[in-house]
This record gives sequence, structure tokens and C-alpha cells, in this order.
Amino acid sequence: MKREINVQTIGNAVNKRLYWIPLALLILWTVFPLLWGFSASFKTYAEVYQVPPRILPRTLNLRAYNVVLESRHFFTYVYNSAYLAITSSIIAVFVSVLAGYGFAKYKFRFAGILLLLILIPRIIPRASLIIPLFQMMSALRLLNSYPALMITYTATAIPLNTMVLTGFFRGIPQALEDAASIDGAKLWQRIWYIIIPMSLPALVTVSVMSLREAWNEFPFVLALTTATRMRTLPYQLFMLRDAMGIEDWPVVLAFTVFTIVPILTFYLIFQKKVTSGLVSGAIK
Amino acid sequence: MGTTTALSAHPRFKKAVPYLLITPALVFVIGILAYSVLYGIGMSFFRIDLAIPGRPFIGLENYRVVFSEERFINSFRRSLVFVFFSVTLGLLLSFGFANALYRVKKMSAGFRGFTLVPYLVSGIATAIMFRFLFSGTVGFINQMLMALGAERILFLGNPNWALFVVIVANTWFIVPFSTLVLLAGLQALDPDLFEVATVEGASKLTVLFRIIIPLIKPMIGISLVWMSFASFNMFDVILPLTGGGPGRATEVLAVYMYRIGFDFLRYSQGAVVMTVILVLNIAVSVFFLSVFRGED
Repeated sequence: MKREINVQTIGNAVNKRLYWIPLALLILWTVFPLLWGFSASFKTYAEVYQVPPRILPRTLNLRAYNVVLESRHFFTYVYNSAYLAITSSIIAVFVSVLAGYGFAKYKFRFAGILLLLILIPRIIPRASLIIPLFQMMSALRLLNSYPALMITYTATAIPLNTMVLTGFFRGIPQALEDAASIDGAKLWQRIWYIIIPMSLPALVTVSVMSLREAWNEFPFVLALTTATRMRTLPYQLFMLRDAMGIEDWPVVLAFTVFTIVPILTFYLIFQKKVTSGLVSGAIK
Repeated sequence: MGTTTALSAHPRFKKAVPYLLITPALVFVIGILAYSVLYGIGMSFFRIDLAIPGRPFIGLENYRVVFSEERFINSFRRSLVFVFFSVTLGLLLSFGFANALYRVKKMSAGFRGFTLVPYLVSGIATAIMFRFLFSGTVGFINQMLMALGAERILFLGNPNWALFVVIVANTWFIVPFSTLVLLAGLQALDPDLFEVATVEGASKLTVLFRIIIPLIKPMIGISLVWMSFASFNMFDVILPLTGGGPGRATEVLAVYMYRIGFDFLRYSQGAVVMTVILVLNIAVSVFFLSVFRGED
């Protein structure tokens, strides 16, 4: 009897440790593609071809990064990406805060239908919008312009933002606002001094989501721009891979690192808040 | 300021407040997204050709032309294969990952945050990473094969292997979000449930299939919908990874639509393909959501 219990405890202990296998797989699966590319961006041109492969570079060779930094228009692309991502995210978050507040705190006619009208477009295939959008922007003479991309990025970020924020605002007790109202606080004061400070986790989540959308976006910028000066980092990365006959892999990969690092850093700073916020938004 | 106070005291203005708050969002979403979709569907019934003036209404003619093209039928089939395998592989991986994340106690927040990393990487960057991983000369996998004395596999030169690589890359891209959704489902369950079932003598598999899966069914539905959406519309990863090739081995509907629209400038026929993708998306999500409805 005693032995049996012992065997069972050991069995349980083994079973409880078994999660390490999928966990290790998860880490390998997530990191390896990135690590293999990241490490190669520090390798020399020849080292990349070396068999057997080395996971880590022999020396930290910065040639590829220099090539990228000195390449023509590189900082124009960085500027375009950053400018579009930041402006469209600010507009998208601002607009979604207003809408989320409206949906969360008021009862009004057609509220349900109007909320659906904002949320349903979330399921519209983004890539499939490129043909009608191209037609629309060319009719408006907005091809090759910042506004065309800014408007589009803002619009694609709003549905999910509004969803997350509406859910979050609903959880903020009405009593706080009522008290403020009695003290004479106006609508914008209640939003600014009560709602915003209490919603920082949700605001961080929607900011990261909006920035990610715009920073990484590719189909729209491909369809709506043709001029070199309008390219964003993902677009130029696409061209880079396309343009080279024999690919200079370290350079392509160094460029890739430049596109990943800023958004990843931003995300990792706020990581805890984003994961929970994202999920609550996705599930509702 | 004085007028604002007067205005806001006015009952009619009070009634208008929520509408005013949501108007900007509605303008963006309807003006850009809804309008584009409706405009695109509309375009599919007209002949829009830069070489021919005017835009005559031609009814279903574009649909007839596109549906009779072999290239369309092939890319349609390829899309189904691509989505089926991406979603299946994606569900298996994300379910395993979600389970592991559910059980891990130390640094669980860190691991969770880590899971989401591919979600932050752009489609283009994902494509570059996987192209590099599976390349014939510089790819890790082939270099390992060579080091072991085995024959190289030209993944991107072989139609079936290329489709495989594209599916793996796409899965990498879509798994994080699905993992988090399933994890949220698991975390909402009552942990005592497992204890009781195990004490009563239920095996691990019974617990999994009889308790866990039925209880998180709605979450499985959501993650399937999400993954199939992302996959049907996948374009960012495929175009830079294979360009739809070799030949047309990886030309799924979204890539075909881009080619037909922007390489051949047959916009209205591209709009037909857009409509097909839209209908497929809706059909698949209705299917998943009705199959995976919650028990209650």
C-alpha cells in the first residue's frame, strides 16, 4: 500500500513536469526563426554559407548594419514608418476613446446596431480592400500621399480599439463620474480626469495594437503608393528582397532587425498589460 | 464657455452627446472600410478597364470569366488546402502551448508575453525569416542536412515543399493570438474540476476530451475563426516568401487577387476574387461558430 502511494506520487510528479516539453517546444518554435536570422545579420557574407551551420556568429560583424544605415533613403523609410504609425495611432486611439465612452456610458437608440457597424468591419479581409481602396484614393487624387495611408491605418485600427475600450470603460464605476458631475465636471473633464487615468492598461493595449497595425502594414502601402519617397520599412524590405540577384543575406536580415526591434521594444515594456488586454478584447 | 454650458444644459443636446461621441469612429469605419467593401462588390458587376472608356454594367459577366479560369480554380483549391493545414496545425500547436502556459507557475507572465512575439513581427519580416530558414544554400535546415551528409531539399523550388514552408510560416504568424485566446479559456475554468475528475479515476485523455475541450469549445471556435480569417487573407507572408511560386504552387486567392488587379490591371475581376474571399470568410466563420457554440 505504502509503495503504491509512492509510485503514484512519482507518477504525478512526472506528469506535472510534462508541461515543460510543450513549453520548450513553444520557446524553440517562437525564437528559433528569429534567432537564426538575427544571428546571421552579424555574420560575414561568407559565414552565412558555412556548413555545418553555426547558431551564433563567430564575431560581431557590423558590416550589414552599416550597409543598411548608409543605404539610400533609409531614414526616409524610417521616418515614413514612424510618422504614419504614430499619427494614425494617436488619431485611432483618440477616436476610439470617444466612441468607447459613448457606447459604454450612454443608453441611446440604435446603440446596438451602431456598435455592430463599427465592430463588423474588423472581420473584413484587409488585403481584399486594396483594389477598391486604390480606386477610391486615385479618384480622390490621394495616391502617394500620407493622408491616404494615415486615414486607412486609422480606420483599420478603430474597430478592435473601440471593442477593447468599450469593454473596459463599462467596468469603471459610474459613481465616480456622478460625484464629479455634481461637482460640476463637464463631459471632457470626466473623460480626461477620471476615465483616462483609470484606463491606462486598456489604453496601452490599444496603442500597441494600433502601432503594430500601422508599423507592420504592407498590402495598403503596396497598393496606394508608387513613389520611392513614400515607402515604409516593410515595403522597402519587400523591394530589397526582390531587387537583389544574389541576396546579401546579412544585409537583408539586418534590415529586418531594424523593422522588428522598435515595435518589439515598445511591446516588451508594456507586455503584461498588453497580453491581458488583447485577450479580453478578442473574446468579447 | 458660457454658451457651452447653456448648450449642454439643453435636453436635446444631451440626447445628441452619445451620437456625437461615436460619429468620428463611424465616419472612419464606414467611410473607409464599409465603403470599400461595398464599392468592391459593386465593381465586380461592371467592366472597369483602363483601355476602354466608360464603365458599363455587365452583370455577372466578370464572375463567369473568373470562374472559368483554371488559374482561379487552382488558387481557390490552394487556398482551401493552405487554410485547412494552417488552421489544423495552428490549433494543435496553440492548444499544446496554451496547456503548457496554463500549467507553468514560475514566470508565467513572462512566458505569456513571450508567446505573443510573432504577433509583433510584420508579415514581410516573417517571410524573410522563413525564407532564410528554408533556403537551399543558407538555410539552417539544409545546412544541417548537408552536415549530416544527407541530400539537400530545395524547399522553395519544389511546389509541395514551397506550400509546406508557406503553411509553416503562416502558422508561426497566427499561433500566438490563438494561444492567448485558448489560454484565457482554460484560465476561466474551475481548477477543482480536474482534481475531482482525476480523483474519480478519469484518465488524462478523458479529462481532456470529456471536460476541457467541451468547456472551452467557444474559445476554440473563436480561435478557429481568427486563424481562418488571417489565413484566407494571407498575403504579407506569401508574396515576399515565394511570390506565389514556384510556378503558381503557392498562389492562394489573396495573391491571385493582387496579381489580377495590379499586374494585369483587371480591377473588376480582382473585385470578383475579393467578393469570393469575403464570402468564404463569412461561410467559414459561421460554420465554426455554429459548430463550436457553447453548451449553454
